[in-house]
Amino acid sequence: MPRMPKRVKFRKEFRRTRDRKATKGNFVAYGEFGLQALEGCWLTARQIEAGRIACQHYLKRQGKIFIRVFPDKPVSKKPLEQRMGKGKAEVEYWAARVKPGTMLYELAGVPEDTAKRALVRVAMKMPVRTRFVGRRLAV
Amino acid sequence: MKIQHTLNVERREKTGSRYAKRYRDAGKLPAVLYGHGKAPVSLLLNAKRATKFFHLGEKLFNIALESEGTEQAVFLKDVQFDYLGDTIVHVDLTRVDMDEEIESNVHLVLFGEAAGAKGGGIVQKQMDALPVKCAVKDLPDEIRVDISKVDEDNPLHAGDIELPAGVELTIDDNETIVTITFAVETGIEGEAEEIGAEGTEPEVISEKKDKDEEKGEKDDD
Repeated sequence: MPRMPKRVKFRKEFRRTRDRKATKGNFVAYGEFGLQALEGCWLTARQIEAGRIACQHYLKRQGKIFIRVFPDKPVSKKPLEQRMGKGKAEVEYWAARVKPGTMLYELAGVPEDTAKRALVRVAMKMPVRTRFVGRRLAV
Repeated sequence: MKIQHTLNVERREKTGSRYAKRYRDAGKLPAVLYGHGKAPVSLLLNAKRATKFFHLGEKLFNIALESEGTEQAVFLKDVQFDYLGDTIVHVDLTRVDMDEEIESNVHLVLFGEAAGAKGGGIVQKQMDALPVKCAVKDLPDEIRVDISKVDEDNPLHAGDIELPAGVELTIDDNETIVTITFAVETGIEGEAEEIGAEGTEPEVISEKKDKDEEKGEKDDD
């Protein structure tokens, strides 16, 4: 079941620009390993859920998955063969704004090779290039 | 922690992001040196050499700079990364004496098999590094903690950690460091109940407000 917010301030929102690099949420914070996006996209709630299921299916109750993105952006779409105008269309799906560098998923409590294999499966469900990362240098 | 290496530094004449990028392209690492009430100095390090030391966990160095006179002991205070977290783009160094008390984070290493993990529990580290306060010479490279007695009902708290002499934690003794969790017994599809049935829409706060205001106006009339 795709995720979405429980309460929102406004039903629909503008598209806004996408071309920025991630300045927050771009490092492994909760788990030991993570899957990092290398490109920007709107990651739909269905894609996030597909990734979670793929990971959980492989891990079979081992380890803990942290989903670092939440689909809080409503995306509207006009129906097919609809003439232009007549106002903004209804919300089609919810998406998370992903910038290059955003951490998508994190894993804890599993060895590195298992985490790598699980996150490779998740990466296949993602619409962007991703990579496997560990914790970075802490000072 | 002892000083093992000397960093080759040179003064950075031109500051700002544009020049910093040019220095990085030339194999230099921009840095700043401050502390002990003296004026901050912009520096350049050899990026390849310095990064190698930082990744080995070294935090204490000697630097030789004309303005500092003799060799000065410096401590790695902060590191800035690029957006992917691969490349170090800037470091903060602070002047220190070996007897001076400082606050820093020390890497936490767990060993032993947790009692709670034998039954399928997951060992979860709540902190990757422990914030400590100690003299520079007493700063440990890492803190090793035995977790063989940790189980679900008995998590590891900050107060349970045995620290080297002269080192004290700056967090509360009741702070949880290591816990044992079990995977939630849901199906692979999972979480459906948590999120709600398909087709449900989020509650719109602004619409609710408008309706309330309209109601209020009618009541006034």
